[in-house]
Amino acid sequence: MTTSADVARIETGAAIAAATRRTSWLTAWQTAILSAALIVILLALVIPPFVFLVQGSFTIAGPTPSSWTWGLGNFETVLKGRHIVTTTINSVVFAAASAALALLVGWVTAWIVERTNTPLKPLAYLTAIISLGTPYILYVTAWLLFFGKAGPVNHFYRTLTGNTDVLINIYSMAGMVLVEGFLWSPLAFLLVSATLRNSNPELEEAARVHGAGVWQTIRRVTMRLSLPSIMALAMLVFIRAVEAFEVPALVGLPGRISVLTTDIYTNMVARAPPDIGGSSALSVLMLLLVFVLLYVYGRLSRHAERFATITGKGFRPRPFDLGRLRYVAAGILVFNFILLLLVPMLMLVWVSLLPFFQPVSAAALKLISLNNYRTVLDSGQLELMLNTLMVAVATATVAVSLTFVAGWLAVRRAPGGWIVDRLATIPLVFPGLILGIAVMQLFLAVPIPIYGTLGILVWAFVINYLPYGMRYSSSGMLQIHRELEEAAAICGATPLTRLRRIVAPLLAPALLAGWLFIFLMSARALSLPILLSGPRSQMMAVAMFDLWGNGQGTELAALGLMWSMLMTAIAMVFYFVARRSASGALGRA
Amino acid sequence: MGRGSLPVLAAGPPLQLQRSWTIAMLRVERLTKIFENSTDQIAGGIREAEFELAPGTFFTMLGPSGCGKTTTLRCIAGLETPDAGVISVDGRALFDGERKLNVPVEQRAVGMVFQSYAIWPHMTVAENVAFPLTVMKHRRYSKAEIGAAVAKALAVVDLDGFEERPAPRLSGGQQQRVALARAIVHEPRLLLLDEPLSNLDAQLRDEMRSELKRLQSKIGITTVYVTHDQSEALALSDQIAVIDHGRIRQLGTPEDIYFRPANPFVARFVGATNLLAGRLVGAANGRGDVEVLGRHTIKCLVPSVIADPASVSVSIRPESIRLVPRAGAASPSGDNRIPGKIAGVTFLGATRRVDVASDGVTLQVTAAADHPLPADGEVDLLFAPERTVALPGKVS
Repeated sequence: MTTSADVARIETGAAIAAATRRTSWLTAWQTAILSAALIVILLALVIPPFVFLVQGSFTIAGPTPSSWTWGLGNFETVLKGRHIVTTTINSVVFAAASAALALLVGWVTAWIVERTNTPLKPLAYLTAIISLGTPYILYVTAWLLFFGKAGPVNHFYRTLTGNTDVLINIYSMAGMVLVEGFLWSPLAFLLVSATLRNSNPELEEAARVHGAGVWQTIRRVTMRLSLPSIMALAMLVFIRAVEAFEVPALVGLPGRISVLTTDIYTNMVARAPPDIGGSSALSVLMLLLVFVLLYVYGRLSRHAERFATITGKGFRPRPFDLGRLRYVAAGILVFNFILLLLVPMLMLVWVSLLPFFQPVSAAALKLISLNNYRTVLDSGQLELMLNTLMVAVATATVAVSLTFVAGWLAVRRAPGGWIVDRLATIPLVFPGLILGIAVMQLFLAVPIPIYGTLGILVWAFVINYLPYGMRYSSSGMLQIHRELEEAAAICGATPLTRLRRIVAPLLAPALLAGWLFIFLMSARALSLPILLSGPRSQMMAVAMFDLWGNGQGTELAALGLMWSMLMTAIAMVFYFVARRSASGALGRA
Repeated sequence: MGRGSLPVLAAGPPLQLQRSWTIAMLRVERLTKIFENSTDQIAGGIREAEFELAPGTFFTMLGPSGCGKTTTLRCIAGLETPDAGVISVDGRALFDGERKLNVPVEQRAVGMVFQSYAIWPHMTVAENVAFPLTVMKHRRYSKAEIGAAVAKALAVVDLDGFEERPAPRLSGGQQQRVALARAIVHEPRLLLLDEPLSNLDAQLRDEMRSELKRLQSKIGITTVYVTHDQSEALALSDQIAVIDHGRIRQLGTPEDIYFRPANPFVARFVGATNLLAGRLVGAANGRGDVEVLGRHTIKCLVPSVIADPASVSVSIRPESIRLVPRAGAASPSGDNRIPGKIAGVTFLGATRRVDVASDGVTLQVTAAADHPLPADGEVDLLFAPERTVALPGKVS
């Protein structure tokens, strides 16, 4: 039986339902629209560099643009050239040896710092933090000065023995490995200590309780547990060393030891006109190599995460009591600190005070002045700093904004979220130098007038650092309990409101850490901007590279020291933010 | 019908829907949501769930973890999209699989307390509770209105004066109260609770349980509660649905569920019970005789239709059995009597658990701590037919 009241009620119900259907359309599609927009943006950023690089590699240059043809000629030239084999072997040997060295130093220091009662632990962090802010090029030049022919090491050796030869020839494969290994060891330290912190100390304690001694526990539990993540880390450092540019360019080129990156570089700059085709072909081959290596890395790190048992209790394990050995361990930390931080810094300070390079001696003391600093401040170097800061700030802001939304879409499995995730991670395969070549060709072909401006640098840097931003954003997202967002949805908040009022504030520490990381990385990068910087868009690291090339080592030292002081201050902030955000994202970068 | 009174039998289908003449506050029809699990061929979710709640009902979905109870709750909330079925609240359809209607979660205007409470750590207590009012689309509230509503909601949960407290500085019990205040501040027609007590320690859990009951009857809000804890379900609910493997196995009042379980699963899941395999010899008017342990015929209730008389389980609660010396006192009229031998005694404080072996089967009996037990262990088990229930299906 249907009464009129029932009919009325059913009608209102239908009316409400219809109204809801109309408004619900928009809110239900908010996420989808956001996802689609992001996919479009990421496609526009990530795909063109590939296309133009591949196109460049198949283009055979002729005397005029109209005579350009397509073909495999570039690849033939590259592969037939006799030294492709030597170059590749050099690359692999260099990368493997320096990764091994960096990890050895990094693991030993990390274990001492995280798991023992050794005094003077802050020294290790100090070394690592300052190295985060210092451009690699500055470090490399410092060690070149220190170990070089006229540097204190060889000078001392000659005075001591009366010989005229050198003790260490830094311009050799061994020298390259040494410097690259030193460069990477502070970061290896931070990465390893993050994994050690994430591992469950109860597993070690269980071994101790059941009768294992310190060394047995290390060998049979700690080492075995951290092996997968160490393998993954080794792979990561290996890949980064294959892509390295600073050391091969500054140490390898003078020593006539060429690797893949320097080959690409010399094809571009040491010939007139630049051999874009040859460089592109070599770049494509190298991309394939990096792709394979990254695939292996992905497998290794997935394996590593099985053992990463984050307890979330936040308690520190009882450190191993090393007894008297802890003074030996402290000695290692001090030695590490001296070699990785004090020596290069003092070397730079010494050089920056001299009019021209001289070995350390009493006679040289008379020449000391602040003239270099004055020259640096008087010349246009301030604009240079400003340029670099602007590019770094813009890059970090754009990359973090994009990856904030991307990370949310990916972790919450929004429609299209996995595409966003893939797209934002793809640029990992680009070594900086190759991305530079690709973006260069892109903007030579596309009629957007940003070639030679800071804009092109920001464009390229954003692509380069998207994967890092993604790591910070998604590992931060994973720590935000799903129910915190669901509760907001139940309360009536639309997806955009949720993103603004719940996700953004909670993700802020991780995003800030990501922002600072990208800022620091782009402020010191050399290989990406080296081919993209024009006269009006100089970057700090590129300028330092040029100063070194022109033999203005003393000015370089003065400029570099001032710059790294500023960057160290920012790196300090970064370090504390990253620790507080507790995202452990540093360990996954 | 009081808890202690003897149940009066009502024959009927096992899944009896409570049809009321008013429009139901919540109606769920043929709700299905299946998760295919690729790793091990077990498909989770809920199948063909149906129920209807009168306004003000406290309804509990009870079942082991992974049974589909939370899935059902999340479907009602709009956090999951069902595969099929209809969900309507107060006559308004929120989901209809055939009409392709799916009101998004933020427009369903329900209140929910999450298992983790989901108190936003970057806000104060007041900001947390005020949130639903600040994001409402169809109405803008003034600051004063919001303040008043927040104060009222906090007063209901006894958290007056906690407005400015930052959320991370709350204890577990306080977080729960804040979550509850947030769930009722916008006066929703439906309150959803997802295992809200499971994160509290035992003492606090008891306290909050009675608190919750008091609150719900005070506000009179229709409540859907999800738990795996049968004592919570029995204590709080007007209606209980026992769910297993995605199916509602029984729907009824706590007394129905406890005293007249519809199948061996419900009997075992709600309260401890002894299940004996047997054969139905005869049944009429909801009562019957079952042959158990091969040679004893016992009288029992037969509340549901038994398709296969050879495959029957008899459920007897441990507290329904009395232990008497062998062939001693004459049994009260009509009580069932089975001989056995004491196999073990466990002291539990107020009571003792006595394990009695009878024809190779061990039965649990709850006896008063001071109940005398014969030295030789030879006893008879006495239990009333009204407390003995024959259920379809063999003991698994």
